[in-house]
Parts: sequence; C-alpha cells; structure tokens
Amino acid sequence: MGVDWELVAFVVLSVFEVIGSILVVINKRLVRAAFWLAMTLVTIGAIYLLFLSEFVFLIQILVYAGAVPVLFVFGLMLTRRKIMDEVGEPVAAAEEAPP
Amino acid sequence: MSAPLIPDLFGICKVLVGAMIWVGRQLIYALAGPVPPMAGFGDWLGSDPVVTVATWFLLVTVVVMWVTVLNLFTVMWVERKLYSRLQDRYGIMISVWSLPFWPFNRTSRPTHKGMGYLQNLADGVKLIQKENITPRNADSAMFHISPVLIASSTLMVFAVIPWSSGFYVANLELGVLFILAAFSLAPLGILIAGWSANNKYTLVGGLRAAAMLLSYSIPMVLAVIALVVFTGSLNPVVIVQQQDRPIVLFGATLPIPAWYAFGPQVLGFLVFTVSMIAEMERVPFDIPEAEAELVEGWTTEYSGMRFGIVFAFKWLRMLAASALISILYLGGWSGPVFGTVFVGSFPIPILPEEFWFLLRVYLLSAFFVWLSWSVPRVRIDQILNIGWKRLIPYSLLAILVAAGFKAFG
Repeated sequence: MGVDWELVAFVVLSVFEVIGSILVVINKRLVRAAFWLAMTLVTIGAIYLLFLSEFVFLIQILVYAGAVPVLFVFGLMLTRRKIMDEVGEPVAAAEEAPP
Repeated sequence: MSAPLIPDLFGICKVLVGAMIWVGRQLIYALAGPVPPMAGFGDWLGSDPVVTVATWFLLVTVVVMWVTVLNLFTVMWVERKLYSRLQDRYGIMISVWSLPFWPFNRTSRPTHKGMGYLQNLADGVKLIQKENITPRNADSAMFHISPVLIASSTLMVFAVIPWSSGFYVANLELGVLFILAAFSLAPLGILIAGWSANNKYTLVGGLRAAAMLLSYSIPMVLAVIALVVFTGSLNPVVIVQQQDRPIVLFGATLPIPAWYAFGPQVLGFLVFTVSMIAEMERVPFDIPEAEAELVEGWTTEYSGMRFGIVFAFKWLRMLAASALISILYLGGWSGPVFGTVFVGSFPIPILPEEFWFLLRVYLLSAFFVWLSWSVPRVRIDQILNIGWKRLIPYSLLAILVAAGFKAFG
C-alpha cells in the first residue's frame, strides 16, 4: 500500500515533459512544435507545483505557457505549413498539393 | 457587514455526497448477503479518501453548472435582449411560452412573444444538431484541440473566482495571479485555431487576436501590481474584506465604501477595465473578428457545437472579467444585509453576498454591452497604439502613484 504518489506524479509528468520536448525537436510542422513546447512548459510548471512552489508555477504558466509560445507561433504564422519537404518548389505549389 | 447565503460550499457538497454514498452503501450491504465481497466494496466506498474525492468532483460540477448553465445563459440573454432594445426592436422572444406542451401552449396569446430566455437554449440545440465540418486542408488535430484549449483555460478561471465569501471551489493565497495566468492561456488556442483552419481570414483574425491579447495583458498585469502595492495580498477574499468598510461618512446615513476604485487606484481601475474589454474581444476592440472585413475572424471555419464553444467563450470571459473587476476594484460582495431570517438553525440573510456580487457582475456586463453596441470599432494600428503608448505608461504611472501613497499617504 505504500505507494509514493508524489513520485508517481513526478514520473508521469517527467514522461510527458520528455516526450513533449522530443516532439518539439523532431516535428516538421512548426506550429505543432510550438504546441508541444507549450505542453512541455506547462508540465515543467506542474513539477514546480509538485515541489510546493505555487508562485513559480503561476509565473511559469503566465510567462512561459501564456506568452512565449504565442510569440513563437506569431512568427511562425508567416512561414510555410511544413518545412524540409518540397524543397525548392514554390510555396503556391506546396499549398495546392492534396493532403 | 455582509453575510453569505452559502457559508461553506465544500461542507454542503460533503453532506450531499455523504447522503448519496450512504444510500449506495445500504444497497451494497443488502447485496453483500448473497455476494460476500461486496461488503468490502461498501467499506471502501465509505472510507474518507473516497468521500473527499467525490466531494471535490461534486463541488467542481456544481460550480461549472452554476457558471455555464445559469450565468452563461443569463449573460447571453442580457446581451441579446439589451442590444436589441438599444436598437429599438424586440430582439429574441423564444421563452417558456414557446414550448409545445401543456401548461405553456396557450392558444389565447402569441407563442413566440416572451422574454426570450430560452432562445440561447434553442440555439444550442440547433448547434448540437449541425454537422461538424473540418476543412480539407486544415491541420485536423490542431483544429480540434484548440476549442478545448480555449474553453478549458477559460473555465479554469472559475476555479478560483469566489462568488461570495463561502461560494468558491478553492481559496488560494495567489488567487488573482492564478486568474491572470489562466486568462493568458487562451491566446495560444486562438492562434492555433486561426492558423490550423488554413484560411486567410482565420489566419489574419488569429494574428490580430494574438497581437491584441498579448499587448493588452501587459497593462492588465501592471494595474494589478499597482493594486497589490495597496492590498499586500493576492487572495480575492482578503482583497474584498479590505474594501468592506466605509471610507468617509457624509452625514450619518451616506457612507462611501472603501472600494479601491474610489481611492488613488482610479487610474489603475480605468486601465484595468479598458484592457479587460480588450481581453474579451468586445466591440471597441473586436478587430480579431471584424465581421465586415474578416468573415468571422478566427472562428470562421468552425461549425456545429465547436462554433458554439468558441462563441460562448467570449461571454465566459465577460463573466470572469466582470467578476474580477468587481472583486479587485468595486468591493466584491460587500453590501448591507437588511436582517436575517432563521430557517431552523440556519441563518438566511435577506440580501446575501451572492446577490450583491451578481448585481455588480450583471451591471458591469450590461455596461460592457451598452458600450460595445454604442461605439465604433477601433482600427488595428489604433489598437496597438492605445495598448503600447497609452495604457502601459498609464499603468506605470498608476504603480508610481500607488507606491507614493503607500510611502507618504
């Protein structure tokens, strides 16, 4: 019965965080990468909450989850949907291709 | 001075859950005769952690229902009826008298000529029946995640907003900061929604929404900093308690309450209100969905109930913003009681704190509706000028004034 629930929560959050941060790097769709970045930052905030520092958690949510991915996505909006495929083709042709 | 109708929502929910679990346990113990392992299940169901978890579930359900079913429908009704009356027409008229069964189907009077309270329910039923269309070249996963992100982050605000000194889910020490953090999560969902639909109108709407929400959340937070110089606390209940006293007496009968909007915080109050109007994308600042130029802004491609979610979220934000303004600056739920009635041993105040708080929330909502249907829309460059060149310097000035009054006043 002696389950250390804090450890379980920490491990679950860490798994989400590591998977999210790997997906940030390997994802080819930049906006999805920014979404995974937001998830990574939120889980880091949740780990702060696990360490009983509510203020750092809320500031992490306010600054890193609320503002930083928005700034990234704001810049990414002006790029193509996918990168690293259809190199050299004009943007219009990439947009017209069926999914 | 004031008294709540519901002194302890958690305790009430715990009594309700205890009653429900007691009934369930009696059934399970009755089954335990033929099926002996059921007795252990009944014991487990009555144990303390299970009761606590079930109480939290019931508490969250009660507050979500209170916010979405009661207050969301009411505030939508207030807006639609009020702007119709401002435009000198009847507006929505579907009410209980439009229902097609017995006590309501009167033949002597016209059916669709009521107060219109059920119009939003009818619209919701219509939206649920509609097909959910995803554009062919849309990024499907992102397109479907963003309404959930927007709605859940806005509902999270109501976990901390107290409706009286006893009617809340959680009473955090850093409650106001939590509310601001949850408010700041929606722009990401809006941007993803605008981008993933693969439509130039939604893209432009999403860009505008992100630029506006991001730039107006800065003066909002700075105004709260100016307030915190005075309060010394971020707990909403404590902030309201500080305002529950008269600041000056004109004669003996006309006390001016010590609301923060009446003191040196008046500049911060104005800055906070303007940036809150921008945060809920209402008309002076509704350039993200300027329907004359962008079809419906970033919500263009949504259909069915997903459109309902992203559409109703603006009223949820209006409720949250009105509640936050009245907590921080307008005295929250403070107000006279005018006597107490005792039902058994339970004291029931005649005008409880919930009444005063809802009065403030709905008066503020009506003010926002009145403002947004009376003024023209501001251009995008003017919006950014107002945000960065006016509101941020004013909020910094408010911090300076607050610090000066704190040091010398």
